[in-house]
Amino acid sequence: MFNQSTSSAGLSGVSFGKGKKKRNLVATVMLTSLVDTFSVLVIYLLVNFSTTGELLYMSEGMELPAASKTAQLERNVVVKVEKNKLYIEEEEIPTQSLVKTLIDMKKNWEKYYPDTEFTGAMTIQADRRQTYSLLSHVIQAGGHAGYSDINFAVIRK
Amino acid sequence: MFGKKQKKEVNTEVDLVAFISLLSVCICFLLLTTIWIQIASMNVKQAVGGQAAAGKPKPEMWVVMKDQGELQFKLRHTPSKITRSFGKIKIPGIEGKPDFTELASYLGKLNGEYQDLSMALIRPAEKTPFEDIIELMDVFRKQGIEDLGVTPL
Repeated sequence: MFNQSTSSAGLSGVSFGKGKKKRNLVATVMLTSLVDTFSVLVIYLLVNFSTTGELLYMSEGMELPAASKTAQLERNVVVKVEKNKLYIEEEEIPTQSLVKTLIDMKKNWEKYYPDTEFTGAMTIQADRRQTYSLLSHVIQAGGHAGYSDINFAVIRK
Repeated sequence: MFGKKQKKEVNTEVDLVAFISLLSVCICFLLLTTIWIQIASMNVKQAVGGQAAAGKPKPEMWVVMKDQGELQFKLRHTPSKITRSFGKIKIPGIEGKPDFTELASYLGKLNGEYQDLSMALIRPAEKTPFEDIIELMDVFRKQGIEDLGVTPL
């Protein structure tokens, strides 16, 4: 990347006096390879820089299931299922009022974004060990409230 | 040196120290802020009430996930030859989990015989773990069956 192979501070081969040549005490640092390594690191980190993780808040101990054939996670209503409790946007929701809350959110969307069509998409974030009984309830509630497009949050393999 | 006109220095030195400092700061910032786990989504439709009834019905497969990992299959709207060969198949589970290797093999054979199947509807059991459902969907997607649906209990 750079043709300069020594640092500007490198003073090599300095000798004093007559007779026995003194041993060189100043070492030159090869900065080119260091700069190359740093550049490669920066490029690698920039390529891997992802912002999609910010769409979901991961609680301690929550493990998402893994899958390879996945799609990009998009921002929509997130229903989190954790320890048999339901959360919408990090606010705990009683199981009975899930449909009502989802309908309210849909109405709010239509109110605030009248020109945008409601996508009917919902993201379900659940621990990999969660049994289907509660997930089924969420899917059913989503269906009643008009959310037929379900996205399960997963970790890309 | 003496007598001659001193030549102007052509080579310039790049100040690498400042550049290295900048790169170091960049690396530290990126290491702190990079999200190493890539979160994605597995899209599905609700199997009941989500499909349009008009027109010729599309070939579909119903997958029932039983307790202890057993998988049961049923084909609908497929040619009778395919239904006879591949319909009503059961794949027993291994140590309480579905046998995904056997499932991939079964779907591969089915895909070899009949390519028009693109829809699968999954009906998990009450106690089926979420990760098994996702893995099952992943196997289906890998075999080219993209339209997946889940049925509530």
